[in-house]
Amino acid sequence: MKINLLALTSILGMAGAIAGAITTQKLRKWLSSLFGIATCVSGLVAAIEVLHSNHPMIFQSNKILVLSGYSLQLDRFGALFVASGAVVGIASMIFRLGYSGHGLASRTASFVLPLFVMTLLLVPAATNVTTFLFLWEIMAIASLLLVLVDHRKRPEVSNAGQWYGVMTHLGAASILIGFVLLAIYAKSQSFASMEATAHHLPSWVRTSSFFLLLIGFGSKAGLVPLHVWLPKAHPEAPGPVSALMSAAMVNLGLYGVVRVGLGILGGGPTWWWLTVMALGALSAMFGSLHSATSTDLKRLLAYSTTDNIGLMFLGVGAAGLFQSTGHQSLALIALVAALLHMAFHALFKGSLFLSASSLQQATGSRDLDSLGGLLSKMPVTGTIFLIGSLSIAALPPLCGFVSEWLLLQSMLHGLPSSNPSLAIAMPVGVGVLALTGGLTALTFVKAVGIGILGQARSKPANDAHEVRPTMWVGAGLLSAMCFLFGVAPFLVIPSVINSSKELIGTNVANPLVGGWQVGLLGNQGAIEPGLLAFLIVVFVAIIGGLRKLIQAPSVRRAEAWGCGRETQTSRMEYTATSFGEPVVRVFEDVLSPSHNLDASQLSESRYYVEAAHFHTSLDDAFERRLYRQAAAGLRWWGSNARRLPNGSIHRYLMFGMVALVVVLVALG
Amino acid sequence: MMFLSIERITGIFKDFRPKSISVPFPSEVTPGVQEASRRNRGSLQLRHLDAGSCNGCEMEIASMTSPIYDVERFGIKLEASPRHCDGLLVTGPVTRNMSGPLLKTYEAVPQPRVVVALGDCALDCGVFKGAYGVEGTLGDILPVDLEIPGCPPEPASIITALRGLVGR
Repeated sequence: MKINLLALTSILGMAGAIAGAITTQKLRKWLSSLFGIATCVSGLVAAIEVLHSNHPMIFQSNKILVLSGYSLQLDRFGALFVASGAVVGIASMIFRLGYSGHGLASRTASFVLPLFVMTLLLVPAATNVTTFLFLWEIMAIASLLLVLVDHRKRPEVSNAGQWYGVMTHLGAASILIGFVLLAIYAKSQSFASMEATAHHLPSWVRTSSFFLLLIGFGSKAGLVPLHVWLPKAHPEAPGPVSALMSAAMVNLGLYGVVRVGLGILGGGPTWWWLTVMALGALSAMFGSLHSATSTDLKRLLAYSTTDNIGLMFLGVGAAGLFQSTGHQSLALIALVAALLHMAFHALFKGSLFLSASSLQQATGSRDLDSLGGLLSKMPVTGTIFLIGSLSIAALPPLCGFVSEWLLLQSMLHGLPSSNPSLAIAMPVGVGVLALTGGLTALTFVKAVGIGILGQARSKPANDAHEVRPTMWVGAGLLSAMCFLFGVAPFLVIPSVINSSKELIGTNVANPLVGGWQVGLLGNQGAIEPGLLAFLIVVFVAIIGGLRKLIQAPSVRRAEAWGCGRETQTSRMEYTATSFGEPVVRVFEDVLSPSHNLDASQLSESRYYVEAAHFHTSLDDAFERRLYRQAAAGLRWWGSNARRLPNGSIHRYLMFGMVALVVVLVALG
Repeated sequence: MMFLSIERITGIFKDFRPKSISVPFPSEVTPGVQEASRRNRGSLQLRHLDAGSCNGCEMEIASMTSPIYDVERFGIKLEASPRHCDGLLVTGPVTRNMSGPLLKTYEAVPQPRVVVALGDCALDCGVFKGAYGVEGTLGDILPVDLEIPGCPPEPASIITALRGLVGR
């Protein structure tokens, strides 16, 4: 008898949750993590099986969710998301075995962590609205609880949790309404019957459901301007959770938009996709700008997630735009590029978040200005962080280079088009990609240069030691895959093409060259990452050999030149704040930083300054101008509405009467 | 009207132009300087350091770079960072406060490097000899490759001495 892997994944996840809840403190950390790993392995095997066969994997049970039935069907498109989530899940669970964050060892955390991992893997397999929302909500609540585990120690955690809770539930409500609209017209809540009826729907239903779902999924993906919770919640979550959220959970927002836009609704008018591209471009620029100016390491990574999600939406928007203008093979390339970037982003962002958590655990701080000199003290973690940074900065021979190159190519090939919307959108997209590429390089030069190179800026950073092997094994697994797929992308590209064809159409000819090369057919440009990696190795070997052959002049080590100053401390090093300052200055109108200079004068004369404090902060412009204003409006409305119920029974009777009349009139 | 020709009128203004000041190549150079000039091959970057000078020498250094003397035509340039330099140009007696920074600057210059003592104070402390704030002459602290005497030395004689070092 063959075991249904989707059922097995569900069972393992729930078993892990129960084991985490009922066992002793020492045991529950191991049991819940090991069950989490088992869940991920089972999900990964299921995904690989689906990607290599033409048959979707189906599991149905009417015993779990009454009325609708618990219905899972994993097709090749969903399998890609399951596979990338499972890889991040395995790495995070291994990492968690060594992670000594206190809150994550609690009973609650051990209970919800396997559930969170399980739902991450099963959401892309849900085939009806109830199953989808059931899993989606468990995922949201589980991740909210995991964000909150340290709330007793730090007040910022509960603030982040509030933002996350509100935003995720607004998103879920928006998703629910969007799906309900489609389900009413389909007279069924299964995705397959929605897809069958989608072409006969009135256009306002299609448009409004698409945008409701875009808002809902966009808020989970961290799309600007729905991103405000992301740079708060992801940094405050404990290490493995922040990796899972930033590398796997945000992808499901992308999954939802693509599944609905290109799958269920089967494409839409041009302006939908122009909106998606515009939101993607905005997210990419805003995210990269904020990550270039952040000094908090995990906040920097969280904004960089918004940046990368923006690039993926740019690709998805381009795919939709190509499809709506009849360029099927270009649409396929753009979607492949976006999905490839999704999968590779999961790898490098997972390794970056895990290694950043290792740095945080070793030094007790995630402020770049108090780190430094960690590459020599934590060589393995430092190297993993370095590989992740090189990968996210899209440098060969690592995986980020392949996916960003393909994304750029897909948009460049839309340029010689006679369609005006393509002719305008594609150059803008290329420009956004170039700008964010530059800012990302700047960001990670800062993160590596200030964070792990140089000299230690604080005593804890000076006393740091390498973390336990389980932690760097978890993070190292992901960075090894970054390298592997960067050198040999043909290991994943055929699967990504197959899973994209699920949505674009199986009869579209494969536009990409195969083998060691990555590129477009018909001599339209190709790269060979394996050869590139080989040449880099040869070049480094030649340089190294030449240095050995030609007697290099002896190296004399002297103190860094400090204008002859008597003593120099590590506080005089370049800081992350000063490194990002030129960017802040150039983009002052967008970032609108606040500066505060407090100087106290001596009592004898106000011309002598006793002490001066300079404080500068950069908060999110969307949060300040949009969300805080909206919250203030709601508060005003609430405090005014409180005047209505004044305790008089007569007034309450009148309210009831008026409501009844209104309902009768409305229904009559 | 022949004495009102154009040449005569412009000739009046020609006389206001500064006379070109002759800066000859030094007649004799020490073997050390000759060796340094072979190394420098026509280009010399110097970091100037005031070890306690009265600023007289600094005035002369400043006028050395003026259009009249134009020291840069010989490939001699004053640089801000000792990291980019071939040597140090030190003025004044070495005071207690400046001896530490002097050594640090010397350490910061890449090897091989030259040390030029400029002015009588750098050579033998001049009028400051024996003062309580003075630690000693430059020669007491660092090996000096080239000495330029004078209180202060004229720009022309500074350039002449430095030409030996740069070899052109």
